[in-house]
Amino acid sequence: MKIELAVIGQGAVSPAGVGVDALLHREPAPASVAALGQPDQPWPVLRVDLKDPAFARWQREPRLRRASSMTFFLVEAAEQALAGVSPADRAETGLIVAFSAGCITYSRRFFEGIVRQGMASPALFPETVFNSPVSHVASVLGLNGAAYALVGDETAWVAALKTASVWLQKERVRQVLILGAEEFDPIVLDAYRSVRWLRRQTSANGFLASEGAAGILVRRAGPEDATRITTARDGFIYRTKKEAALAAERLLSESDPAKPCYQSAQHNWLGSLEKRVTENRPLAPVDDRPYLGEAFTASAAWHILRALSCLNDQVPRLLLPVWGLNHQLGLLELETRKKSEFPRQDADDRLF
Amino acid sequence: MSRSIVVTGLGAVTPLGENFSISWNALIAGRDAQAPLDLFDTTGCRCHHAASATPPPLTDLPAKTIRRLARASRLAIPAAREALASAGLLDAEGLSTLRELPFSVATTAGGMALGEDFLRRVLARGHSHRSPLFSRVSRYLPQQQVLDVQQALGFAGHSVIIANACASGANAIGHAADLISVGAADCVLAGGFEALTELVFVGFDCLQATSIDRCRPFDLNRSGLLLGEAAAFVVLESAEHAQRRGATPLCHLTGYGHTTDFFHLTQPKPDGAALVEVMRAAATQARIAPAQIGYINAHGTATAVNDGVEATAYGAFLGDALGSTRISSTKAAIGHTLGAAGAVEALFAIEALRSGRLPPQLNLQTPIPEIAPALVGAKESSSDMQHVMSVNLGFGGSNAALVFSRSLSP
Repeated sequence: MKIELAVIGQGAVSPAGVGVDALLHREPAPASVAALGQPDQPWPVLRVDLKDPAFARWQREPRLRRASSMTFFLVEAAEQALAGVSPADRAETGLIVAFSAGCITYSRRFFEGIVRQGMASPALFPETVFNSPVSHVASVLGLNGAAYALVGDETAWVAALKTASVWLQKERVRQVLILGAEEFDPIVLDAYRSVRWLRRQTSANGFLASEGAAGILVRRAGPEDATRITTARDGFIYRTKKEAALAAERLLSESDPAKPCYQSAQHNWLGSLEKRVTENRPLAPVDDRPYLGEAFTASAAWHILRALSCLNDQVPRLLLPVWGLNHQLGLLELETRKKSEFPRQDADDRLF
Repeated sequence: MSRSIVVTGLGAVTPLGENFSISWNALIAGRDAQAPLDLFDTTGCRCHHAASATPPPLTDLPAKTIRRLARASRLAIPAAREALASAGLLDAEGLSTLRELPFSVATTAGGMALGEDFLRRVLARGHSHRSPLFSRVSRYLPQQQVLDVQQALGFAGHSVIIANACASGANAIGHAADLISVGAADCVLAGGFEALTELVFVGFDCLQATSIDRCRPFDLNRSGLLLGEAAAFVVLESAEHAQRRGATPLCHLTGYGHTTDFFHLTQPKPDGAALVEVMRAAATQARIAPAQIGYINAHGTATAVNDGVEATAYGAFLGDALGSTRISSTKAAIGHTLGAAGAVEALFAIEALRSGRLPPQLNLQTPIPEIAPALVGAKESSSDMQHVMSVNLGFGGSNAALVFSRSLSP
């Protein structure tokens, strides 16, 4: 699907710190956490430091008194992306948040209460619902436009971008804030371990579990907008590794072979597949970017921000494959325009 | 660009029946599906009943595949298949004739029961690394049920999973309409699914939102909701696409509105302002006045707060037309099906428009006075309806409304 979204704001929270600059340049320090089912064997994980002063103001918000850590990641990333946007414009801003696991900590704690004590906390249950953090963010930041919580693997981001494009074409909102967020809980180690996705300290096979959020503020691209997302494709579904390989080949074969490709499948099982299908293509020149671990929809957002940062006069366009880990593959096309490519004012204007 | 949208197919599995026509006939006959719940242990809960569905047999799938399916998929696959069949989009092998078919889906819990099973075993620490059960943990995520439907019915393409709590089903259908309206799709399979799970059941029970009595929407003596499960889908197409392939439109989707109510995470604002706004937005898009709406399928959960606010909102929205517009909540019959609610209730509204028969407001003893004149009685019909509306609210302040019409308004 052709979309014409101008990226006009960015925000990020990651284990590397708060802000897009940290995302691009800072090396995160792993912590050690044990899986619930294997308490004697710690795994390296990448966590967001909730003691960062940036979170203090959100922790004082009455609306967020019971909110999950993921909500704090989200609201901080959202506020960064909205920097400079007036309250009036915020009121006409739509909000789309992509999740994979959602509020996994509260869900685990709630169900653990049922299993262990035969009772559960009524205060926790509403916060387990996928769209609760979306509601919190919209309320705290005064975003009165449409709001959707979308669920999926990394490709939920593709769906989110398409949805934003539709809202803007329908003029339901003036601009859309799109975010992805995940939070860490020890139960995810049990889950990832069971499907052999995790990385031991001594091995490069598998990923580190991670957490965080990131997002972009977009509007319909006008002639003066330099940074754009121009294509969003998904629907390359798979169940098995064989189907994934076929889907990846088809996905890349349907894209312009001359456009540089940004590699984003880091240390997950799709990494070797990505290398194979992109080996004959030009690659985006990427500096040594710190490894941030795997946090599904948050990771997808981090890759979008990092890929956007690669755009310049020498690399004005690139392809960003979106490697969904358990449903489908997708692809985004990003571009930046030089000032000389902006449409000129007409001749009459220039005379005066 | 804005194109007109038609509904060409319907399919549902509900607690009232294994397909849409059985469910509809039972609904119109005044049956409700409340029964003791035996899917999981409810010891310690206040409430011990629900409206559970019987998943239809999936005879054309291998037994191994069926064993791996989440209960949610067992509901969703037959409902989606019925919708495609009724739209004339299934081939002789039972697969979609459209190999690329956008899919707009709603759920709140996906295959949560698999996740619960996983967590229970982790907490028991009786698992082994190679346990096949563990490899199923990835199947609890909602995209896995979407993939189950896609693979069972042989289609791929864009999919979007909307999890806006109990308004999700209406959002999924409305979003599908948006995709078609702007030319991003010609035909979309849209709807929602939800299976009863322990976490969600206990969640509503510990909030004391479930009733230990009958579910009595819009009754002064209402005491809470009845949880249910279902899957329901519609096939939406641009009018041109339907015409090109010779499909018969069942009705038009003419209006969609969605808003967020910031008042409270689990309660609507007492004046129902966001709900009024969403109904006005949907009616405005449909180019109709509130008085032209013949029937509203209300959210009507039968909780103390929701129904009072909803009654106030209908009064504000309909004004003098309150008595002539007919209203009922079908949750008394099939329960609150959460992520599927907006979809299955939209199907009921569509069938009311097509047949002129109105779903009665069941279990009513002492109606809320403000809405009493509008509530549908037994065996009511209205053959001259031109427009119907389906309304949903959800946690997080999600509000959504859909308008379906016999024809387009000038």
